[in-house]
Amino acid sequence: MPDITAITAELHAAGIDADRVITDRTAMTCYGYDATRQSRPPLLVVLPQSTVEVAAALKTAAAHRLPVFTRGAGSGMSGGTIPTGAGMVLSLTMMTRVLELDLENFMVTVEPGIITKELQEAVAAHGLWYPPDPASLAFSTLGGNVAENAGGPCAVKYGVTGEYVRGLEVVLADGTVITTGNKCVKSVSGYDLTRLFVGSEGTLGVITKILLRLLPPPAARRTQLLAFADMGTAAETITAMFRRRLVPATIEFLDHHSIAAIRQELPFALPPAARALLLVEIDGEPETVDRDAERLRELVAPTAIAVITAADERERDTLWQARRALSPAIARIAPHKLNEDIAVPRASIPAIIARIDAIAAEVELPIVCFGHAGDGNIHVNVMLDKTDPGQAERGERAVAEIFRATVGLGGTLSGEHGIGNTKSAFLPLEWDAPTIATMRAVKLALDPENRLNPGKIFPPDFHDHIS
Amino acid sequence: MAVCPLYRHTRREEMVARGKLALFAADLERPAGEPLPTFHRHAIDHCLLCHSCEANCPKGVKITDLVIAAREEIAREAGLPPGKRLFFALLGGKIPGLARMLKFGALFQGLAWRRIPQSSGLRRRLPFPLTDDHTVIPRLPRRQLADFLRARKPADSGPPVIFFPGCAISYLFPEIGRATIRVLERLGFTVLVPKFVCCGTAARAAGDRNTADNLQHQNHELLAALPLGAPVITACATCGHALMRYDLGGRRAVDISVFLMEHRARLETLLAGRTLDLDVTCHDPCHLRKGQGVIREPRELLDLITGNRFRDLAHPELCCGSGGTFGVTHRELSRTIQAEKIAEITATGATVAASGCPGCLIQLREGLTNAGTAITAEHPVVLLDRLLG
Ligand SMILES: Cc1cc2nc3c(=O)[nH]c(=O)nc-3n(C[C@H](O)[C@H](O)[C@H](O)COP(=O)(O)OP(=O)(O)OC[C@H]3O[C@@H](n4cnc5c(N)ncnc54)[C@H](O)[C@@H]3O)c2cc1C
Ligand code: SF4
Repeated sequence: MPDITAITAELHAAGIDADRVITDRTAMTCYGYDATRQSRPPLLVVLPQSTVEVAAALKTAAAHRLPVFTRGAGSGMSGGTIPTGAGMVLSLTMMTRVLELDLENFMVTVEPGIITKELQEAVAAHGLWYPPDPASLAFSTLGGNVAENAGGPCAVKYGVTGEYVRGLEVVLADGTVITTGNKCVKSVSGYDLTRLFVGSEGTLGVITKILLRLLPPPAARRTQLLAFADMGTAAETITAMFRRRLVPATIEFLDHHSIAAIRQELPFALPPAARALLLVEIDGEPETVDRDAERLRELVAPTAIAVITAADERERDTLWQARRALSPAIARIAPHKLNEDIAVPRASIPAIIARIDAIAAEVELPIVCFGHAGDGNIHVNVMLDKTDPGQAERGERAVAEIFRATVGLGGTLSGEHGIGNTKSAFLPLEWDAPTIATMRAVKLALDPENRLNPGKIFPPDFHDHIS
Repeated sequence: MAVCPLYRHTRREEMVARGKLALFAADLERPAGEPLPTFHRHAIDHCLLCHSCEANCPKGVKITDLVIAAREEIAREAGLPPGKRLFFALLGGKIPGLARMLKFGALFQGLAWRRIPQSSGLRRRLPFPLTDDHTVIPRLPRRQLADFLRARKPADSGPPVIFFPGCAISYLFPEIGRATIRVLERLGFTVLVPKFVCCGTAARAAGDRNTADNLQHQNHELLAALPLGAPVITACATCGHALMRYDLGGRRAVDISVFLMEHRARLETLLAGRTLDLDVTCHDPCHLRKGQGVIREPRELLDLITGNRFRDLAHPELCCGSGGTFGVTHRELSRTIQAEKIAEITATGATVAASGCPGCLIQLREGLTNAGTAITAEHPVVLLDRLLG
């Protein structure tokens, strides 16, 4: 049994004051959950304010052989922050500084606890833009974004978090501090360790500084809502857009379940026949935006049953609010949902949609699909009542089937939410044994005792091996 | 969660609604008789009841009701702190003479508090508990709203409206009450102002439900004698929000800014194109924006008063940190939130920051005074009254 008194004494000696070390059992419940509704109180919670304090905490954890669960805002959707054993939770939310804004090189260095939106506002004040826009940007931390390689609607054109990360400061399992990357656009000396830590879900090290590249913001944008009579036509339209070399910043789609859930919230009437919606945003220079919007209108004229253009920012906000409110809105369809965020190459969208429809019919459960159609990332929600054993079993079967279909189309289990502990059992479905063994070799090289976020990413038998 | 003003500045999970909910849930499993840990008390204590989280909660969780319930629980167990107990006894009318005491205070406040040049506030001369050298309190007026009401000759021809002034306007900011009544009368209404007591929010927020219910009951009785069709108008965001849980006998409660915009045409005729020559911004009181959902009207009103010289804040939805007595009991955190608000106000370049809540005005005026700026904080209806002359 770890000696809590000794551990807290060491942390205090390292300068972490008493109110930033929490050991009361019930008090810790508010640091043991995330957006997956799992919840487990850890052994203790530490709220460090600097790299030095993070390193001290990790040294203490190493000395007492404690598992360490790093967390940001706890908005994760795959259980990445859940303490799977009696260990230390490191909450990085207090490390929120912008350390350097380099206006010449379009670079910014931040601490990991800064909230995505705060970073965007901080750089926007200087006329620069940080594009990644996960729907959780109003509360998720940059550290969490990097650790999950979060993406958002604008990934179609601008890519995901990882494409903006140019360097990191990371504290390793034993408390050693390392730096990766630099401000050079071209930089090939040694291994690209930055990439290794992007998307590592807190299993390889604790990220304490992040160097990000920025862009000048687009001068203009146009938001359009396209309604279709069926999902197939909508999916075909997406493929057609790219075939015409039309690359919007965003293509979000909503199926008929989603439409029903938010119809009332929309500021305008939709044709009753609308069973699929695409929310398309085109950005760039004003002239190109006008031209592309016109090309899009021509393209969809034969297939869309309605085209609605947001007249101003207020209307655009309403459209996006409706989109962001979707997740809770569909909760009305059934008491529970199994939500996955699979991704397929975008040309395979029509195929995966058709397959999911068939699966829904097989298991006799509604499956709600919406998401980032432009990049092939689809939020699949199997709606069910878990208290009904029949439904629970059919739900699980549907998820497994969807995963199999996805991988069969060259897709992936998770486009943005990560594997965590909710999808770890399915990892072998996507990667073969030698590939997983390589991942494991990397993990054990950096964290030989498997103390950093154990129980995540790797299938359960991996963790049995270690402990 | 990032919308919680306390989270923004503490970055601690127990500050936000989700953390508080988890604590409440964990408490249910605590063995009976085991005292509430300090950590929990602290979390329950730390809530501005600003409704920011509720306004953003897709699931409609009412955390403020739970916080209030938890405070009631604590108050029942341990009793209120003595200062709050006395204060609510006064508000609740259990000890008579709040009005007289405050008037008496108005005569002698100069002994302990000194005036701040160019401002309507006072700074302390003596080290009072719960204050420091940066505390700025409003000067107690010699004439309270009741004195004005006694002297007034109410018009009795137009359609009736009921004005609910509330304590802060009655005792600390009578000019807001006076302005409200005058503006309404000029629009042709008969303004009824019965002797309402406190709306009950202060007591309710502290967990003193008895006092709050009692006050509400007294106000209900006063309302019973008034014309049914008359709307109940408030100029204090907190009172307006409190009235939402009242039974108004089918009448509606409405904030003065909303009511004025409903009568915009008549107001424009009255103004005849006159405007105030100033740039104005607006701090949305939480109890107005999130509590009552009023956002548009104060802006339209201010645009009307200044001839479209309203400038919005970068984050108008942020709480000012006052939170009723929170600013007194958690001074440091409250000041941090205040400083952020003042910086945003200054950045707009406006010379007046309007806000439809006396509590916010106290907080804003203290912040502006300490920042040494010439920007003033005013209730929109006072600006309108000034313009109407
Ligand atoms: C309503 C809602 C909408 C969402 N929308 C999106 C979306 O559009 N796109 C998307 O990609 N995700 C989305 N998510 C998921 C989630 O917000 C993202 O995964 C986000 O990046 C998590 O950030 P966080 O700060 O909450 O991290 P946490 O949940 O606290 O942690 C997530 C993982 O990162 C690790 N971690 C956190 N900080 C660090 C650090 N400094 N160093 C090392 N490891 C760390 C943790 O150990 C954990 O494994 C959404 C979630 C919600 C609730
Ligand atoms: S009411 Fe305000 S202070 Fe209280 S938890 Fe919600 S956002 Fe925070």
